[in-house]
Amino acid sequence: MRKVLVIQEDIIILKILERLVKLNNFECRAIRSLDALNIEDQQTNYDFIITDILFEGIAPLEFVAQIQEILLHKNLLIVTNMGQDKIKQEIFALRDITGFYAVPIDLDEIEAIIQAY
Amino acid sequence: MDETTILYFIAVVFSILVIYWISIAVSLTYRRNRTARLEKIEITFADIVSRYLYEDPKKPLTLTEITRTLRNVGIKEKNKNNIQFLIRLMIRTQRTIVGSNFYKLQRLYTQIPPYGVSVKKISSWNWYRQARGIRELYEMNQSQYFDEIFKYRNDKNIYVRREAQIALVVFLGWESLRFLPYLKRNMTLWQQIKIVEKLYDLYPKPELKWLHRAYKTDRLFGIKLLMRIIRKYELHAETGYIVDNLNHEDYEVRETAIYCIKTFAVSSSTMEYIKNLYDDIPDATQQGQLLDYIYQNSEIDLDFYMRQLYGTNDDLKLSIAEILWNNGYKEKVQEFYYEQYPNSVLNVG
Repeated sequence: MRKVLVIQEDIIILKILERLVKLNNFECRAIRSLDALNIEDQQTNYDFIITDILFEGIAPLEFVAQIQEILLHKNLLIVTNMGQDKIKQEIFALRDITGFYAVPIDLDEIEAIIQAY
Repeated sequence: MDETTILYFIAVVFSILVIYWISIAVSLTYRRNRTARLEKIEITFADIVSRYLYEDPKKPLTLTEITRTLRNVGIKEKNKNNIQFLIRLMIRTQRTIVGSNFYKLQRLYTQIPPYGVSVKKISSWNWYRQARGIRELYEMNQSQYFDEIFKYRNDKNIYVRREAQIALVVFLGWESLRFLPYLKRNMTLWQQIKIVEKLYDLYPKPELKWLHRAYKTDRLFGIKLLMRIIRKYELHAETGYIVDNLNHEDYEVRETAIYCIKTFAVSSSTMEYIKNLYDDIPDATQQGQLLDYIYQNSEIDLDFYMRQLYGTNDDLKLSIAEILWNNGYKEKVQEFYYEQYPNSVLNVG
């Protein structure tokens, strides 16, 4: 079964994304921070990772770099509260980012991407 | 000091310490329970919202189930703090989402508890609760209460009318400018900025029909607000309204007009018109600001600057001289300088 990892600190967005993913027939693992990762996660090749970039103790870009380094994945979607132009530009400058969505988000767009996969 | 007094003293100090310990313990337990309770409400609400937005056909979510679940975690009429926390969560969620799910959420909020808590606050005697109630309604986009809110647009309390006016902008968008000429009380700069920002966030496409209708306002705050809107939306075709207010008799209106015109580059004919208005401005500082704008946005107009140099306004002659000096008219400035002093004083020639 296709797998998705959702990392969001905000429990409401986390739950909503989890439901969205599950109803589209993906297996979903939803966690609130990188601390909750386990060995299995590191061995799984996720079809999608949907993550925030704003976490305590780590800079946004560094966080994305870490995710790209430690987790196997095919697509990386960013859903975040941090929609400032500077952050956007910096994120777009990175490689291998499938999508960037700043709040307020249109969940239909994210669903469309997942369904098209 | 004898032994009993000391013992008595120790007993008093010790009992005060014990009271402190007990209060610390009570406060710690209360806080722990409270945090746990709020977390539970948050998780429950997250679960409800996610299940409502993405309903599982095999296990549909009913309204009775939602109401029961919320009641079980402490959303009851008597627990006002819990209800307030839930409202905050509702607003936060609504702000995060746009598109079809936004409207789904709006529908959900009308159907689940706390029913009508926000609208009840509007009729409270306390201005703080009134303002908060109005704010909650527009943040959750509950436009069915528009009529109740509309009554407060001229309220005597600044915070209540501020929230009511923002609610008008949220619900009606550009059409809300229709009411601008009829507002009776002053609107602060902060309120103007909030309105402009809200309008820009929610209604990014300008509807000039309503803007033109609002032009007939003679309220000073109204004129300032309209100029700020023109600036924010970069409405080049409407710059005439700002230009016309450059020589307004009110200091603050002129100040706003000068601030707003700086965003725009204008045609040379408009610039000529601005130069004519320049002499009408009674304040030297504002003339200086406008001079700066004219200098940066047009070619050097020797006639205009020479007129100013030989004019009656002494305050800005130094700036005018500087502009001329730096733009190849050094000799004109020198000529002006020598003309002011007879040769004997200067000790030349």
